[in-house]
Amino acid sequence: MALPISRHKALREWKLYFFILPSLLFIGVFSYFPAGSAIYHSFFDWQGGDNKQLIGFENFSRALHDPVLWSSFGTVSVLIVFNLIKMIPAILMAVLIHRLKSDRAQYGYRVLLVVPMIVPGLVTLFIWKFFFDPNLGVLNNVLDFTGLKTVLVHLDQFFGWDVFFANAPIGWLSQPALILPSLFLWGFPWIGAVGVLIYLAGLQSIGQEVYEAAELDGVGPFQKFLYIELPLILTQVRLSLVLLIIGTLKDYGLQLVLLGDTGGPGGRGMVPGLWMYNRAFIAGEFGYACAIGMILFVFILGLTYLNNKYVRVDK
Amino acid sequence: MSAALNDSVGSRRHRDWPKHLVLIAILCIELFPLYMMLQVSMKDNASFIQNPWLPQPPYAVTEVRSAPVAGQPDVVHNRTATWTEVLHGITPALVPDPALISAEKHFDLGVYRVGNLVNGVKIVGPYVANTVFVALTGTFLSLSLAIFGAYFFARYRMPFAGVLWGAFMLLMLLPGVANIVPLFTLLKDLGLLNTLSALIIVGIAGGQVFNIFVLRNFIEDLPKDLFEAAEMDGASHLQQIKTVVLPLAAPIIGTLAILAFLGKWNDFLLPLIVLRDKELFTLGVGLIYLDGEYVKQWGQIMSAYFIASIPLIIIFLFCMRLFVRGLSAGAVKG
Repeated sequence: MALPISRHKALREWKLYFFILPSLLFIGVFSYFPAGSAIYHSFFDWQGGDNKQLIGFENFSRALHDPVLWSSFGTVSVLIVFNLIKMIPAILMAVLIHRLKSDRAQYGYRVLLVVPMIVPGLVTLFIWKFFFDPNLGVLNNVLDFTGLKTVLVHLDQFFGWDVFFANAPIGWLSQPALILPSLFLWGFPWIGAVGVLIYLAGLQSIGQEVYEAAELDGVGPFQKFLYIELPLILTQVRLSLVLLIIGTLKDYGLQLVLLGDTGGPGGRGMVPGLWMYNRAFIAGEFGYACAIGMILFVFILGLTYLNNKYVRVDK
Repeated sequence: MSAALNDSVGSRRHRDWPKHLVLIAILCIELFPLYMMLQVSMKDNASFIQNPWLPQPPYAVTEVRSAPVAGQPDVVHNRTATWTEVLHGITPALVPDPALISAEKHFDLGVYRVGNLVNGVKIVGPYVANTVFVALTGTFLSLSLAIFGAYFFARYRMPFAGVLWGAFMLLMLLPGVANIVPLFTLLKDLGLLNTLSALIIVGIAGGQVFNIFVLRNFIEDLPKDLFEAAEMDGASHLQQIKTVVLPLAAPIIGTLAILAFLGKWNDFLLPLIVLRDKELFTLGVGLIYLDGEYVKQWGQIMSAYFIASIPLIIIFLFCMRLFVRGLSAGAVKG
């Protein structure tokens, strides 16, 4: 804790306020001002220039009846579910690494995990875009090579999906029905280095004697996970769960890069953030974009509130 | 030590090799994009289609064909060798080519398209330079300000410090999602559109909250005696930061710096709306531009991606320990 300070001494130390002033100035101008401006402008018909017209709640009532916005919230809910599933491999990976006996091997795997981070995130996205390419793409090649494509075609005929055909390459990013599956598949095997390292740090606090006691009691590997390991990383899991949900709600870079600013064919990859971006910078409807931002903001704020109230993260 | 102990207490039944097997398999898939980037970056489209999976063997095949019109000289065609040709020699094709006179395999390092890399440097080099400038300046300024700010909060409980702290922490709860539209018009009004300073300034503002939060906790945990001793010696607050905070907080500052640098390196949403001139493009915008513009010469594109990764590779090589430990330690602290 910071030392308490008498009023007299604080007066003598007034120069200390200059230490915080720059930071304060920066967040005031570039964080608080835009936030206030967004609230203010969500009540205006505004093209981004000097002309604006107060229209009250019209932007919001328009948003209420905007089918694109509502379907985009549907899409982002699906993506959140996807991302929750994608958390599992990182947890399992961390547990596997932790259970190795040799410390050297553990460190080696940690380093290997970090290696993919040398590729900038955007480049990874573009490499995946290349994987999804229908003709030269790696994914279609792998499916052809392993014969999985025939399986997919048979399944397609059986269920009547109408997306996989024996004589045509699979258009992962060009067929509306395949947009969501592609957004799921992206990043396979879904091991985020940061996540694994965070879980590993949590697992590190398990003493060796706990394992020894468990083994003496004849506890199997699965039970060990359920009763020893999972409870200890639950804090980290919950924390990354919350961050993940909020992150997925507001992120739209992935969709912008893979599918373009209209959310791909049929707008199937449209998410609220991307719709806000689209309205502001493609259609020039800045006022409406601010209103979409506010709606999204309320959603996220609600989640943050629920999180602080019900998901206690013990420090 | 602990490994030996563990072994003696009945885990002899559990061998490690199945775990290694699973881990290695997963890591192979995880590293696959990296592998593809590296090996495709040395190929041209023809050899990529001929051999998409494996690196190019260092052999070329010279094929001599009789000319389609009699009386003209033979057509000499150079192509890259496939792995089967390298391992088993050139076998006649299933459908023999009647015009083929001879085909000869020879060692040739020229199959590696180093030109791709040169081209990549030409295309991406300026973007990388811009990004390095933005990320380095931004990280440096952002962390300097954050150190001062954290020192303010950590050293004494000054009047109004609670309110100010609240102002920072509120931003941690508020998502910056609605900001980007007004931020754009703000930058326009300040005349900062289409400048690199805009990216640096917004980056500084964005980094304050998290960095001050982490650094405050760290500085508060430092022994108070150190500050008091320095004060006895007549050290001003600036000197205390220099002699006490900086040396002791170096590891955490390093970790924060790497995280900030990575964040700025990967950012493309802000540059995309701020930058217009091609000379000012940072990596993010540049790559999106490249993706839209080029006829897909995968080799050239992949080598451009490779060039884009080099600065991070350098950082990784020098700071790997800091990186791995820092991420783990930072995670424990919260």
